Amino acid sequence: MERRSLAASSLVYGAAIVMSAVILAPLVWLFLMSISSATDLSAQPLHWWPETLDLSRYGTLVSLVSNSAGEAFLGSLRNSLFVSGLATLGAILVAVPSAWAVSRTPQVQWSLFAVIATYMLPPVSLAVPLYMGLAHFGLLNTIVGLALVYLTILAPFATWLLKTGFDTIPQEIESAAMIDGARLDQTMRLVTLPLAKPIVATTALFAFLLAWDEFFYALLFTADQRAKTVTVAIADLAGGRVSDYGLIATGGILAALPPVLIGLVMQRAVISGLTTGGVKG
Amino acid sequence: MSTLEIAAVTKRFGAIDTLKGIDIVLENGEFLVLLGPSGCGKSTLLNIIAGLLEPSGGDILIDGRSMRKVHPKNRDIAMVFQSYALYPNLSVARNIGFGLEMRKVPKAEREEAVRRAAEILQIEPLLARKPAELSGGQRQRVAIGRALVRDPKVFLFDEPLSNLDAKLRTEMRTELKRLHQKLKATIVYVTHDQVEAMTLATRIAVMREGRVEQIGTPREIYDHPASLYVASFMGSPPMNLLEGRVSANGDSFEAEGGSCFIPIPAASRSTLGPGRPVIAGIKPEHLAPARSDTRSTLSMDVEVVELTGAETLVIGRTGGQTLVASVKPDDAPAIGTPFALTAPADHVRWFDPDSGKAFPA
Repeated sequence: MERRSLAASSLVYGAAIVMSAVILAPLVWLFLMSISSATDLSAQPLHWWPETLDLSRYGTLVSLVSNSAGEAFLGSLRNSLFVSGLATLGAILVAVPSAWAVSRTPQVQWSLFAVIATYMLPPVSLAVPLYMGLAHFGLLNTIVGLALVYLTILAPFATWLLKTGFDTIPQEIESAAMIDGARLDQTMRLVTLPLAKPIVATTALFAFLLAWDEFFYALLFTADQRAKTVTVAIADLAGGRVSDYGLIATGGILAALPPVLIGLVMQRAVISGLTTGGVKG
Repeated sequence: MSTLEIAAVTKRFGAIDTLKGIDIVLENGEFLVLLGPSGCGKSTLLNIIAGLLEPSGGDILIDGRSMRKVHPKNRDIAMVFQSYALYPNLSVARNIGFGLEMRKVPKAEREEAVRRAAEILQIEPLLARKPAELSGGQRQRVAIGRALVRDPKVFLFDEPLSNLDAKLRTEMRTELKRLHQKLKATIVYVTHDQVEAMTLATRIAVMREGRVEQIGTPREIYDHPASLYVASFMGSPPMNLLEGRVSANGDSFEAEGGSCFIPIPAASRSTLGPGRPVIAGIKPEHLAPARSDTRSTLSMDVEVVELTGAETLVIGRTGGQTLVASVKPDDAPAIGTPFALTAPADHVRWFDPDSGKAFPA
């Protein structure tokens, strides 16, 4: 706005700065912890700014030497990538058709509410049945098993988000394609899905993050390197008799990198998905 | 054989009867306009013809073939939507050729057809663009092109001009008329704009609450409205409707408030018995200033004078009832003065106030 008083402007910028500080402070502190030496971290009073730079922990965690802590950590990162990727892929495959169906057929919208209702249950209430189910199918401590559990969380969430996206795509466009002779699959492939691309990308990103950050089920259903995810691996770092806070912080930084990279790659699609729903006139 | 037959079509949504039995037969090359206010069922009827909705009862026949359970794509129809419904991610050329592409028409033939349609609509330079890069009028042309290229038995238009500004609307209206004359296409066109209906249609079906109130040529509908509803819907401003009764001797009409006497033609006197309450319908353009040597039949107290351009609308009251006259600007009276008018008896329409129907002329 052109015409704004100095006071109003400084208020707006002040609010923006305060908000960024609140959001960024923990991240900055996490990063500083990861590069501070152990003495700096345990000093009284605390050294907010490290006196000596210590990058050794990155070396410890990013290492391919067999049986090292680094190999275990990288293995858990890989597990997280597979589990989250698989669960997200599955969720999108399930959610796109069901979200479209619910959006275009208001008569079956109750089914979506039913699914969302189960989503409201606290995870702990489902832990035992899920554990027994996974055990029955021999899927405990497997990537596929954990991905399946995550699918039950991601699918309703993705369906809900995609439905609101499909709602913004005018039905007349699909009617026009129908009259033009397009089969349902052609209508979806050539008309609806290209229009829904931004919202699908947004949904996929959020679903991936949801799976990436999940801790409770991962802790319960994985036991060792075959399926342990990065959230559990970081908890393991804290579980020893002596906790190296710097090491935990380094794990946190490394665990944050993949989603951040994916977010950067998908930035444009996500932003247009968040702002407009992707459809204009 | 008729190109399109709408036979006893009904549609019910839950407890609401949207269409209460529609029968219309359309010959090849006719331009039928479904006219009515929103909620009268005209768009529902169009969607039923298109096959986007199934009728609750009755049938649609295209070229004598029943369309029950026939998919829209197999009906040999094309539809132009109010929102244009272009595919935003495809180029104009692909938008127009989409129907042919889906029907597996060879590429060369398809491109030729798209080029021909673009030529007719004068959008050839736009073929490579995306819909977002077009103006409203251009998008409308692309939407029409998409229908044109298919060469269907019946074209369906759902309020295609209502999203355009006034000037463009008039231009596109003329263009649609030209297109219809050139292609001799059979068209069903939905609108709530009576000017569009008058200018475009070969026949108008005035709809009201799920029924066809009157169907006929624009002239018939305009000059001989079958009911008070049609009379009040057509024309801008619409017909004056004056309540009153037939005089005791049966030869003239006396409006409520008594400032109006209209002679009743001999032919109508038998149907309009003496003393009977009737409503007289007089078009504003049929009211003319009374010259000093003629006996005035109507006198109004002028309240508002509106110059619309070629003519001036004089709005006032006669015996408590509103009256609008359309006169030449030079004849316009001053506000607050009485204004004497004549109404030629053969242009006055008579309506039954109880049933709302017109008395036969």
